[in-house]
Amino acid sequence: MNVIRAIQMYIDKMISDAGPGMKLLMMDRETISIVSMAFAQSEMLQKEVFLFERLDSVRSNEKLKYLKCIVFVRPTKDNIFLLQQELQSPKFGSYYIYFSNIIPRTDIKILAESDEGESVQDFKEIYADYLPVNPNLFSLHIPTCLQALNWNPEALERSTQGLVSVLLSFKFRPAIRYRSGSTAAQTLAKKVHETINKETALFSFRPPEDGAAPPLLLILDRRDDPITPLLNQWTYQAMVHELLTINKQRVDLSGVSGVPKDLKEVVLSTEQDEFYANNLYANFGEIATTIKVLMDEFQRKANDQRKIESIADMKNFVETYPQFRKMSGTVTKHLVLISELSVQVGQQQLFEVSELEQEIACRADHSTQLQRVKRLVSEGKISAANALRLVLLYAMRYERHANCDTSGLLKLLQDRGGRSYIAPRMLEYISTVARQELFNTVKITDAVKLTRNLIKELKGVENVYAQHECVLKGTLEEVIKGRPLDAQYPIMGNEVPFRRPPAEVIVFIVGGATYEEALAVHRYNQEGYRIVLGGTTIHNSESFLEEVLAATVGVPFKHSRSLQQFHQAPAGTA
Amino acid sequence: MDNPFDMHDKESASGAFLLPTDGEILEGFLCPICKRDLRTPERLTVHVEHEHSEEQDLLKSLKEIFSIARQGILSKGKKKPSQPGGTDGSEPSAPRLGSESGVAIGSAGTANNPLLQPGCNQTIGCSCEHMAYFKAVRSPRLERYAAETNKLIIRLDKLLDGLPTEPDQKKRHEQSKVPWIDGKLVKLCPTCAKSFGITRRQHHCRVCGSVMCESCSRYLTLEEAGRLVNPTAISPASAVPLQAQSDAQPVNETSHFRVCEHCMRLLLIRMEMQDWKRERPLVRQYYETLRRERTDIEPHIGMYRRILDSLYDGDVIYRLSDASTLREKIGRSAEKLDNVSKSLQTLRSAVGSREDALKKAIRLGCISYIKEQMLSIPPLPVEEEIKKVQLRKRQETERRLERERQLALEAFERLELQSGGGSVDSSLHDRQNGSSSSSSTASTAEMTNGRYGAAVSTMDNWTGTQTGPTSNATSDPLIDQINIVKGYIRQARAALRFEEVATLERNLSELTQEFYYRQRSEPVDTKPIPEAQ
Repeated sequence: MNVIRAIQMYIDKMISDAGPGMKLLMMDRETISIVSMAFAQSEMLQKEVFLFERLDSVRSNEKLKYLKCIVFVRPTKDNIFLLQQELQSPKFGSYYIYFSNIIPRTDIKILAESDEGESVQDFKEIYADYLPVNPNLFSLHIPTCLQALNWNPEALERSTQGLVSVLLSFKFRPAIRYRSGSTAAQTLAKKVHETINKETALFSFRPPEDGAAPPLLLILDRRDDPITPLLNQWTYQAMVHELLTINKQRVDLSGVSGVPKDLKEVVLSTEQDEFYANNLYANFGEIATTIKVLMDEFQRKANDQRKIESIADMKNFVETYPQFRKMSGTVTKHLVLISELSVQVGQQQLFEVSELEQEIACRADHSTQLQRVKRLVSEGKISAANALRLVLLYAMRYERHANCDTSGLLKLLQDRGGRSYIAPRMLEYISTVARQELFNTVKITDAVKLTRNLIKELKGVENVYAQHECVLKGTLEEVIKGRPLDAQYPIMGNEVPFRRPPAEVIVFIVGGATYEEALAVHRYNQEGYRIVLGGTTIHNSESFLEEVLAATVGVPFKHSRSLQQFHQAPAGTA
Repeated sequence: MDNPFDMHDKESASGAFLLPTDGEILEGFLCPICKRDLRTPERLTVHVEHEHSEEQDLLKSLKEIFSIARQGILSKGKKKPSQPGGTDGSEPSAPRLGSESGVAIGSAGTANNPLLQPGCNQTIGCSCEHMAYFKAVRSPRLERYAAETNKLIIRLDKLLDGLPTEPDQKKRHEQSKVPWIDGKLVKLCPTCAKSFGITRRQHHCRVCGSVMCESCSRYLTLEEAGRLVNPTAISPASAVPLQAQSDAQPVNETSHFRVCEHCMRLLLIRMEMQDWKRERPLVRQYYETLRRERTDIEPHIGMYRRILDSLYDGDVIYRLSDASTLREKIGRSAEKLDNVSKSLQTLRSAVGSREDALKKAIRLGCISYIKEQMLSIPPLPVEEEIKKVQLRKRQETERRLERERQLALEAFERLELQSGGGSVDSSLHDRQNGSSSSSSTASTAEMTNGRYGAAVSTMDNWTGTQTGPTSNATSDPLIDQINIVKGYIRQARAALRFEEVATLERNLSELTQEFYYRQRSEPVDTKPIPEAQ
């Protein structure tokens, strides 16, 4: 189960079906990202795809009849209309049309009627309708999916299509479970279930042999775990996303000083960059060591350059040139990234912040933690964004605590210009489940957890910056171990639930997944499980806060009445 | 067994390599009784089984030969696990560090990376075919349009036939060929829905006869009309962009036909299709050259790598000169690709146009292909190095053979001792035989090492002295076969078809081995019998 591979195979098939000859690939806003995340442009050139165009942008009327045009677009009304126009006055010799999802028959008819030049050679649906981020992680790139804590209809439509296409690209007809209590998860589960039942022809896969459990599609809600996206991360990919933001595999470094010109924007792809693929989940310390090794190797090769004495040597060197250049590119790129990360870590005092974040997330110790948060927020050494996150974590953790002093902290935050209006919104955003379960670690029912914590403390924490475990990890544990799920994760439809744990799991988080969760999934996959994670988007703390704000527009303040003075955003912001 | 080579047959003379002993010789899988060439061992066996079933002993001996040959092939396969292709892991690492380390790092990285390991068993996801439905909707429409267009073209043909140049006459001529609709019946222009009057006059489409206003009229030049009617006659150079002309209002009615929008569209589509069929732009021609060159050279690049692997492995199938000719060829091809793509780029086209971008992309793709596939091929090995490797390998083989022989000898002696005394003779004889076999392996190595031409006669001499009856040696179909294969190898090498060279070489060494095996075993098998008598 590798989402990148799935997309690559679709694109390969699409291109090879068009046969030999010069080709142009016509895409739309979304499919162009899908293709670019699966293949580099140079790889496409070798597949004889020489030109790339957007169907939805202004295009020249120049006709090149000797080109084959591969159209790969989403089945939206706009695209159908544009394609209809294109077919009425075809600019290219032949058209191979691939829709990235299920297309209504009426639309096929419209297009067939427009094809007066008989230029369409192929017409298919292929289900590459999601962005493959890592082999085990996909995104739908919906930055905000909720409005007033319920689905934004467009986002719901897109999410349903995305999930259906994931299922079809793996040929799964899954059992669908959703987080009970989350209406968003339930609605999406219902929609996907309906689509599966409607498209019976498509989903008529052979059931798994000898009564094995069908794959599981598990739909969760970000509102149940608002902690994970707020924490500072220390693994490479997560860190880059948190501090520099990865947008569809691209990191914008133009704001960073001292960056070479050709590295203003770098691409981080597990497919094209081996170093990245190998160190995606390595933590900050390990990366530095690895990069040192890489540097030494590079140095060794660079030294070779000086040792060139004869023409034969020179030839040898040139013959190894492609690898050489590739490697040097990789080294510089990651060096720039790592050095920028370490600058940020120093500037923002991230070690101190992160330690306290982890403390709040994992241990209940109100008075000490309040003191530390107060000190950090008021001192002004840490950035306002980090201060906000600390306050948010505190506010969520000690919402019901007798001596809770969120308003005091918020005042401090406001004084130094922090966005204190986010706190009440956040308290409205988190779900009832999160409120009840997230921090009640010291319940009697959780005796196991309690002893585990005790043992942990006795042993000493291995890494204070990575104590927190995301909720997803526990959830997956239950799924994998085959524990009864029906109470917390009811099954959609009237299928008989299987006792045995499923062989494949697709987890989808409404409201966005994080790279920390991708790491949890990766660890399970290393043990041999087959899990893929997806989300409406991939969050870092900043994008998550935006999602929270968007989701809580117009929501009455129920839980944060006491924080009334902070309800209104200062004029000119938000 | 009677000698099948006494008889002369004219058919068999084609391409035979003559043995020095006597005249004409047959080759191939010949039936010993009726002298027909059956081409394959299976067919020969079947043939003998059916046609000469009475000669059971012959059949038996035939089958024996083939089974021996098969065993030889099998045991050879076991002895030499490192045939080209499967040598990736076991190659000597020393000489190739420079070029291979990068690749090695790459493959190790992928193997270690757990993220990249799935996909080996992942199959492509679902897809849903809609072309059938698409066609079902499209074809009736296309047929209708095609019929209509054809009708229009027939009318155009009639109109063009004897067309007067005088405007008045032209109009009369047009009206006589195509019936015009009665203008009184039409109050509004069917295209723009505006009413006709003194300022907005009625006009007729010359091909369908319908009515429209001046602003909704389109114009088809006579030249275009002629081209539509007779697409092959007019040279493509005279093709002028149609749209531009029809937009401009023509002053002069005589050089155009006035047509309605609907007819114009149908005719335009037809004209475009005709143009496309005739058109062969330079870009495309250049690109096809590039593509051909690439598909031609691709197998050679793979072959080159395999030859190098095999050379470094100490195999004697390929020679160093093979590698260097192939390398030269790849270099020449790279140069050609570079040149063609360069000249493709110099083709004239507007800056910033789609064609311009296309040419740049093709050139870019070509450069990266040359860089990554053609220039990155490992350098030629040094001759001494190869010789060293080969020598080492040969020595190893010899040592192994020696050891095996020793073991066999010991086993045999033990057996002899067990069966009792008086076998000194035979054991002595055996020792002799052993020594000859060692010399035979040496000569095998030499032979396969490349000195083909002269090998046959020495072989023959050697066998001749060993085994008395010459008829047996000269009539050996194996020798013929060996000679034929050698000829083929020479031809294949000249044609740079190294795939075939490899198979033939393998074939040849099997044959030679089998040949020596038989030479060696014959005295042992045959001599004890006369002794017993």
